Amino acid sequence: MDYLQENFFTIFLTLFYVGGCLYVGWYFKKQAASGVADYYVAKRKIPGWVISLAFFSTSASTNTYIGQAGKSFQYGLSWAWMGLIWTVFCIISWQLLGPRMRTHTARLQSFTIPDYFHLRYQSDMAKFIRVLSAFIILFATVWYMVGIAKGCAVVLETVLDVPYLWGAAAILFITCAYTIWGGMYSVLWTDALQGIIMFGVAILMLALPFIFVGGVEPMMEAISNTTHVTKAGEPMGNGLVTFGSLVSFLYILGIGLSIGMKQISEPKNLIRFYSVDNAKSMRFAMIWTPIFLGVSLVCVMGLGALVHGMATAEEAAVLIQDTDKVVGFMLEKFDNKFVSGICVAGLFAAGMSSLASVIIIIGTALVKDIWHVISPMREEQLIPRTKWAMFGYCIFTFGLVWVLSIYPIGGIVELTAFAGAVFAASFFPGIFGGLYLRWGTDAGALASMIVGMVANVVWRLFFRFEFAGLKDVHEIIPAFLLSLITYIVVSRMTKHRIPDEAHLDLVFGKD
Amino acid sequence: MDFWTAFPYWGILLLVGINAFIVIRRGIEVEDRH
Repeated sequence: MDYLQENFFTIFLTLFYVGGCLYVGWYFKKQAASGVADYYVAKRKIPGWVISLAFFSTSASTNTYIGQAGKSFQYGLSWAWMGLIWTVFCIISWQLLGPRMRTHTARLQSFTIPDYFHLRYQSDMAKFIRVLSAFIILFATVWYMVGIAKGCAVVLETVLDVPYLWGAAAILFITCAYTIWGGMYSVLWTDALQGIIMFGVAILMLALPFIFVGGVEPMMEAISNTTHVTKAGEPMGNGLVTFGSLVSFLYILGIGLSIGMKQISEPKNLIRFYSVDNAKSMRFAMIWTPIFLGVSLVCVMGLGALVHGMATAEEAAVLIQDTDKVVGFMLEKFDNKFVSGICVAGLFAAGMSSLASVIIIIGTALVKDIWHVISPMREEQLIPRTKWAMFGYCIFTFGLVWVLSIYPIGGIVELTAFAGAVFAASFFPGIFGGLYLRWGTDAGALASMIVGMVANVVWRLFFRFEFAGLKDVHEIIPAFLLSLITYIVVSRMTKHRIPDEAHLDLVFGKD
Repeated sequence: MDFWTAFPYWGILLLVGINAFIVIRRGIEVEDRH
């Protein structure tokens, strides 16, 4: 009984939030089942404000609100450069890819990122690219799903004492349920609601440390010269507010690029462009998406550094060893049930919005871009099989979470950053070239995809940690440049593989 | 707080403002439409 009394507000808010998500999924159940265009891209009829919030909530996840926010506890306020790089790529994505991708995919009747490669480049080789890119999606996103399920399970465990595996199962299967029911409709509408919660919680979380210490001036005084120690045990001094003191700029640039460039290459982000309903909506989303993302990142990226103002030297020495615990510590120290309840809802929203987006991408890749290509099926079989594929993949992910709870491995956050680098290097040239270069070819797209993957692996295994000067040069930098050059050179060398003029006129129209 | 540490905080806000200005000034075309 004490448990219920103590956690009443958090439990009430969590149940209300979960109930809302499930209701949205159920509400769109019938509409989503009426055809592939409905289930896969919400029939390209979604208003701009929904798409804008959905893009933001899909991009930021629990990794952002817990992992990245906590990192500045170790690296200081200049960690916000991560947020700046991220916002730059959000703007590039909406300016460079958004409008053109919406127009071209409608002309080609493309419903997934892999099928865009096939329909744009038009050949048996392009069909192979479609299947290959679907496999890349399956392998690259499983670690992301595991990371989010783990993040949410830890929140449930620390705040509500829910056993870890039960928490992971609840998060995975609740998200799976509303995604299966409403397809892209429920993914986008729940993402939008979650985006509103996340935006509010980012601002609320920023306010907490300032309220705790009594304002901006006492806070800046506390963190400008601190006796707290770094991970190596050295006093931080003025490191938290000094550029380049606690972390090299090159390191921030590498991690920032690998996470920021997901905006221009990861299918769960790019698929948002497919569903925008008209030019007015596109314009709204182009303005507001960077605002939602940028303002939220301004709030959370430096949060960890501010928590130094709330912690004693002893507490800080413990926290610096595991910065994932910084946000939880902040809520515990602030000690207000109402605030904790709202922030927990925000953390769930951050996790579930990214999870739902990934689940539908995996379902469509598995059924439409692998199974359907290898063994064609009738259209009415596509949706039921996509639903089963999503359910099966959630069971597989839960199995992986369960195994990892028995045999833990380190570096899941590193693995998801690596997956981001693979997407950026292997997908972006083929998509960008497809949208802008009439002379781009299937051979160019395939070669750049393979070079992007290989360069990522080779740089990480054989160069980055073998030479002292290259330690902070993330694999995304050489892999992305090599992949882009490969696309241009190979396309130029294989002019005979350019699709015919009639097809290119259909794709490019009058633009 | 030195200039380069503070830069990303106001830089992000300035950047999204410039982006909004550019989009407002520019026409966007989107068609209404294996």
